[in-house]
Amino acid sequence: MSNCEKPLTLRATLLVAALLLLFAPGVALAAPAGTVVGLSGASIVESGGARAAAKLGQPVQVGDTVEVPADGKLKLRMVDGSVVSVAAGTRLTIAAYGVDGAGQRQDARLSLAQGLLRAVVAPVERPASFEVDTAVGAAAVRSTDWFVEGSATAMQVGVLTGSVEMISAATRRRETIPARWGARLEAGRDPVPPRVWSPAEFAAVIARTDVK
Amino acid sequence: MGLGKSCAAAVAALVLGVGSPADQAFAYSATGDRLFPATLVLPQIAPGDEFYVNAMTLPSAGGTAGAASRASNFTATYTKTITDRLGIVLDETWTRIDRVGAGSSNGWQNTDTAVKYLAIVDQPHEFLFTVGLDREFGGTGALRAGASASSATTPAVFFGKGLGDLDIGYWRPLAVTGSVGYQIADTRPRPDLVTPGFVVEYSIPYLQSKVQSLDLPDYVRGLTPMTEVSFTTPAGRSFGMRTTALIAPGLSYAGAGWELAIEGLVPASRATGRGGGVIAQFHLSLDFVAPETVGRPLFSAP
Repeated sequence: MSNCEKPLTLRATLLVAALLLLFAPGVALAAPAGTVVGLSGASIVESGGARAAAKLGQPVQVGDTVEVPADGKLKLRMVDGSVVSVAAGTRLTIAAYGVDGAGQRQDARLSLAQGLLRAVVAPVERPASFEVDTAVGAAAVRSTDWFVEGSATAMQVGVLTGSVEMISAATRRRETIPARWGARLEAGRDPVPPRVWSPAEFAAVIARTDVK
Repeated sequence: MGLGKSCAAAVAALVLGVGSPADQAFAYSATGDRLFPATLVLPQIAPGDEFYVNAMTLPSAGGTAGAASRASNFTATYTKTITDRLGIVLDETWTRIDRVGAGSSNGWQNTDTAVKYLAIVDQPHEFLFTVGLDREFGGTGALRAGASASSATTPAVFFGKGLGDLDIGYWRPLAVTGSVGYQIADTRPRPDLVTPGFVVEYSIPYLQSKVQSLDLPDYVRGLTPMTEVSFTTPAGRSFGMRTTALIAPGLSYAGAGWELAIEGLVPASRATGRGGGVIAQFHLSLDFVAPETVGRPLFSAP
């Protein structure tokens, strides 16, 4: 054994470990995704299996789950500038949130197990997805101000500006929803064709996601 | 023009929807998850931001020389919402009337406008109710094409009811819409008319999205088979006008922001016509294709 064999082995081990850490799912999920910028009630952030009360200014990571109680609301400013307002009774997981060196979103995927959120999605210069998955389907946009509500049996989307594409997980059928319109999707079925939402319907979801 | 010939032209015009609430057709309307596709013969039941064109032709009773043997209409309609529940309608119709042994005559019908207010929207019960007022401006069209020299005003009510709130399985995609108007002529000899009508429709999109998703071809998924039934009957002195009844079975196909529909026209009375006709319509939902500009109500929140 030469003198340099041992350091090389150590160096190689560290390199492999670093690579493993870099590409291991658990660590990759720990990328910064956003910050809590609005809060009311006792919301919870579950990160790496640990549950803690959410605090203003607290960073959230990819892989974290946010739970907002029935009397609470929470607002996140994401790393690309998008703003996600989460209504009471919502459980939301940040499944992916990648940005490039310039802070431009590459892909974002939120998993909405239950509840309602409003997303004001920051525009990007090139194609980049912003998707919310629910138990029954998904809704995807590039840049818009919109709402999505999900449960185990249905989801609905309302669009204030821009447009959203809603896709049924069961049938893969999709509907494009323009501004001022909304649509529903029930488990195992095609999306309901969109229709114009009334001001009262928008006012209701705005109030539910309005975080001071 | 003698009264008989004038009446023949007027009947043809009425059957084809000219100068009656039937040409107020708005584009589709909705309550909750129920969408009512645009009808072709009867008016739509709620205000909207739409532009559409339709063409129709129907053989008339014919008979003596000079009597109408066929009437054809080409109509363009623009509807605009003022608020989310209040809208106006503007339409113009060009008519050609073929006559027995006398060639044909053609020209514009009277300018027709309407205002509608969506009074009740009950989403859980898929029900809506609208009140409207139509005004036809007499003398703005061509008498030779059947346009009346007299103006007329038609107050009307409209409704739509889907059966999706009932526990009736595969019948839930059924819906019924309808309207009743009372056309009041400004001057005689134009008669006053009662103009009722209804539509029975079965929505395949509703079946796929609310009842059960079946493995159907794409073109079937957007179809709504429907049958329209429309009547006009004189109220009070008829001035030679007789009751007309028209049955129009057909199909409507809905795309993203547009609809294409075609129906057969089956006269159910001799005064309505003789032999089958056809009507086709294409309409564009401006509130879908341009939701933040021309498709938006003039006054709306948010």
